Amino acid sequence: MSFEELSHTADVRIRVRAPTLDMLFADAFAALMETIFGKDRKGGCRKDLHIEAADTETLLMDFLSEVLFVCEVEGLVFSSASVTIDGKSLAAVLDGEPFDRVRHSEGTEVKGISYSGLAVTRDENGYMLDILFDV
Amino acid sequence: MIEGVKRTGTNEWEVPVGYIPGMRVPGRFFLSESLGSMLEPGAIQQLANVATMPGILKNSLGMPDIHWGYGFPIGGVAAFSLDEGVISPGGVGFDINCGVRLLTTPLGRKDVAGQGSLIDELFRAVPTGVGAKSSSLKGSAKSLEGMMIKGARWAVENGFGVSRDLARCEEGGCMKEADSSTVSTKAKQRGIPQGGTLGSGNHFLEIQIVSEIYDTSAAKAFGLSEGQVCCMIHCGSRGLGHQVCTDHLKVLEAAMRKYHITLPDRQLACAPLTSPEGKAYFGAMAASANYAWANRQMITHTAREIFSRRFGIAYEEMPLVYDVAHNVAKFEIHTVDGKQTEVCVHRKGATRAFGPGAPDLPSDLAAIGQPVIIPGSMGTSSYVLRGTDVAMERTFGSTCHGAGRVMSRSQAKKRLSGKEVAADLARQGIIVRAPHENAIADEAPDVYKPSDEVVGVVHDVGISRLVARLTPIGVIKG
Repeated sequence: MSFEELSHTADVRIRVRAPTLDMLFADAFAALMETIFGKDRKGGCRKDLHIEAADTETLLMDFLSEVLFVCEVEGLVFSSASVTIDGKSLAAVLDGEPFDRVRHSEGTEVKGISYSGLAVTRDENGYMLDILFDV
Repeated sequence: MIEGVKRTGTNEWEVPVGYIPGMRVPGRFFLSESLGSMLEPGAIQQLANVATMPGILKNSLGMPDIHWGYGFPIGGVAAFSLDEGVISPGGVGFDINCGVRLLTTPLGRKDVAGQGSLIDELFRAVPTGVGAKSSSLKGSAKSLEGMMIKGARWAVENGFGVSRDLARCEEGGCMKEADSSTVSTKAKQRGIPQGGTLGSGNHFLEIQIVSEIYDTSAAKAFGLSEGQVCCMIHCGSRGLGHQVCTDHLKVLEAAMRKYHITLPDRQLACAPLTSPEGKAYFGAMAASANYAWANRQMITHTAREIFSRRFGIAYEEMPLVYDVAHNVAKFEIHTVDGKQTEVCVHRKGATRAFGPGAPDLPSDLAAIGQPVIIPGSMGTSSYVLRGTDVAMERTFGSTCHGAGRVMSRSQAKKRLSGKEVAADLARQGIIVRAPHENAIADEAPDVYKPSDEVVGVVHDVGISRLVARLTPIGVIKG
């Protein structure tokens, strides 16, 4: 898992690096979960997601926005994700557990995923992504 | 100051056309020299980006709490012409109608001595933090529809307030343009269980004391007197508003190609005000704004019940001074090129500050101007100001919305311990309750600009005038 928090005064800005696009998305997902729920997250409960979008950035936006929705409406907190991207479609298997007020109150609510500064880039080392979560 | 920015007055700065390509109007912001030292280049870039949007009128404006956000800067204000202009969720934000209200009480400092148990009771009664669900309402599709269409009026009709409260809300607590048919099923699912919840981040409920009066006649008209205990509530439209922004951002992003609009930031995704996509977002945004007014009204009800029970005061003895929206787009009449013109004003982390005689003010405040509520941070003062004619002329009737952050949340967590911040505040007589100590470190007084300096600038520039200062004695954080 590879993500770091960059400086941003109002919100949470994350940089992710990964050797593959699938792992880049999975790490961005992990960063989102840690921002909201903290580090104490367990597995045991499976959720499948399928997303289609016109470009890579929108695919990521839609994936993470769907995760926000599922967490809130189904009361779930996820520990990991296995992501498979095929062109304009994404399949993800999420592993998580029911929300626990005691263990999962370490973070802060993410209101949305912003397009501002959102860019997925690729070089010889793999992929890199900067993304902003509105908190 | 940042290179390329011109000083145009004591506390006024201009970002000239040409600062970035495509600017249609200059940027203009209000900032003291010392606040200027904390200004991030990203915020000025965003102010300039807004100036490239179609149909923008006069200036892309920044209030003295301007800081780097997404889309618009936080503290950003822009008005757009109805025929050539656009509407953008990036000028409103994910937390639609995040806003603040102030209630007074007939109590004084001595009445709430040893306020810890009061703060504990409020903390137990108002659902806060990540995963919070409503405790005061068993939400249903019907109640949600009421909240989205009628706003604060729905809450009052359902026993969460009194009719006088409505006159003391911006827009009467209800935007008539609300269209729930443009709110997605997903957004509705998120909205149903969250009525009357505070949320997390910078949202709070605070007990304060009026510690200084600057304008005696305005304070009297607003019902404020020195030494009085007050209650301030800051929250927004919860998951419903967040989902509406997410949903419509995607639609408007796609619509930009259709309308041949190119902008420097995808988060500024927008569509003409006259387009079906623009109208759909406006209707859903208004429904979310109404939900937020109903939400704050429900929390108000909980606070009033607790105060009534604990102190033997009548529910009506906690009147609402006023309720203002911080994140919203509205149709308003303003003077453009010497003519009274209807425009669409976006306020993103900014407060409406209508001057004396403006429409939408209750008749008893018409001569004074609109009450403007500016929250400070947990340890610093909040302020009540009044709107002015200068704001009407210069900022489309707008002013600042708070202190504005200077330290990121990650820095705050590294540098500050929530327990130590809470202990330090307790030594100053301020009791803090939060679901987790991180929430206290995240929102410590040190992460914000000094609120007195921010309001000092708006007072000096004249876009609102100081009425009263309030100091906190107890806070519940989300």
